[in-house]
Amino acid sequence: MQTATSSSPGAQSPAESELAQLIVDSLNIDWIKAEAIAPDGPLFGAGDLGLDSIDALELALAVSKRYGFQLRSDNPDNKQIFGSLRALAAHIETHRATR
Amino acid sequence: MSEHWRERKEGGGRFAISLILAIGLRCGRGVARLCLYPITLYFYFRRPYERRVSYAFFARIEGRRPSLWRVLQHIHRFAGTLLDRAFLLAERYARFEVQMHGLDALIERMRPDRGVLLLGAHVGSFEVLRVATIGHPEVKLRVVLDTQKTPALTELLHSLNPQIGLGVIDASRPGSEIVLAMSEALAEGTLVTLLADRVRGDEQTVAVEFFGAPALLPVAPFALGGILDVPVVLCLGMYRGGNRYDLHFEPLADGLPRARKERDGAVRALAQAYASRLEHHVRLDPCNWFNWHDFWNPQGRGVDRHQPAAERSDAVARDAA
Repeated sequence: MQTATSSSPGAQSPAESELAQLIVDSLNIDWIKAEAIAPDGPLFGAGDLGLDSIDALELALAVSKRYGFQLRSDNPDNKQIFGSLRALAAHIETHRATR
Repeated sequence: MSEHWRERKEGGGRFAISLILAIGLRCGRGVARLCLYPITLYFYFRRPYERRVSYAFFARIEGRRPSLWRVLQHIHRFAGTLLDRAFLLAERYARFEVQMHGLDALIERMRPDRGVLLLGAHVGSFEVLRVATIGHPEVKLRVVLDTQKTPALTELLHSLNPQIGLGVIDASRPGSEIVLAMSEALAEGTLVTLLADRVRGDEQTVAVEFFGAPALLPVAPFALGGILDVPVVLCLGMYRGGNRYDLHFEPLADGLPRARKERDGAVRALAQAYASRLEHHVRLDPCNWFNWHDFWNPQGRGVDRHQPAAERSDAVARDAA
């Protein structure tokens, strides 16, 4: 469902790399480096990261701490928002309370 | 019989379920309970998989093949609790005699800004928990329930009390949404209840010792307490026959470690504590065990009673050796 954006498919934007670092740090991920997370790759289930529901919860807590807003369970766009690093970073950029 | 239990259809169908509930709510629980005898026989003959599961369960925990009477009693108890769910959801509480155990321990742990995670199991009736909240409209309760596992039953029961449908966190949604919904509810001081004895899909598992043999439990229910910093309390509504229930609350853990590094050990310890207490309660009254699949080998083909014990790798075979 991702539409093409201005950035190239393999490279992380500054916002994406900041989020990638937050993911790696908050979830103690040691099998992949933050800069190696593919912006369009899946975060959850099968894939390089393979996060599960518990990771989602911890990530949501880390996001709320860092960016000052809550990822909500009842957001109808959750499937898309949690779909990739790029989508999650874009969602955060739109809603973040702290800069 | 290679059919996997997860794909097993609901027994009886929508018409039969609505009929028995209609009889119950119109003519009273006593009349509806008379219907449980033919239902029990129907289930015994038409559901061979569940019948074998029942035989194998009693053989495992009691070390010998159960009598026909015992298996029929098991099915009858199960049907009885399903019928009672209708009365509990319709808020006709007066007819039930529910003995509370450990309610004070739960109340001590409740705060307006921080709920409690209640871990239940597929035993007895979780619904009697609603009786504990009678006269306390300020107590908020949300139940994590897979509405897709028994859609006809869930729809009917929730039509009895639409308010209760709103309190359900649908476990058929993606895992990340379930845990976020639980987190939001717990942050508002809600009691969030979850049945912790069933693994969904390919979620992470933790091995525990249960009735002398290894069994797998899901990791998530035992990790949530630490991540969300809420107390974890065991909650079992055991059915004693007739109109009697015992509702047990037992604190399992307070102040679980938040850090990931310490969590694995804490999850294992908590899962084992849960399994040990569950075993204790099931051993006292095995007819309350309502996991109608091979709990110790959920990916297996089910239980074959013609299989010689020597070829089985389960606890019964090991004990006999």
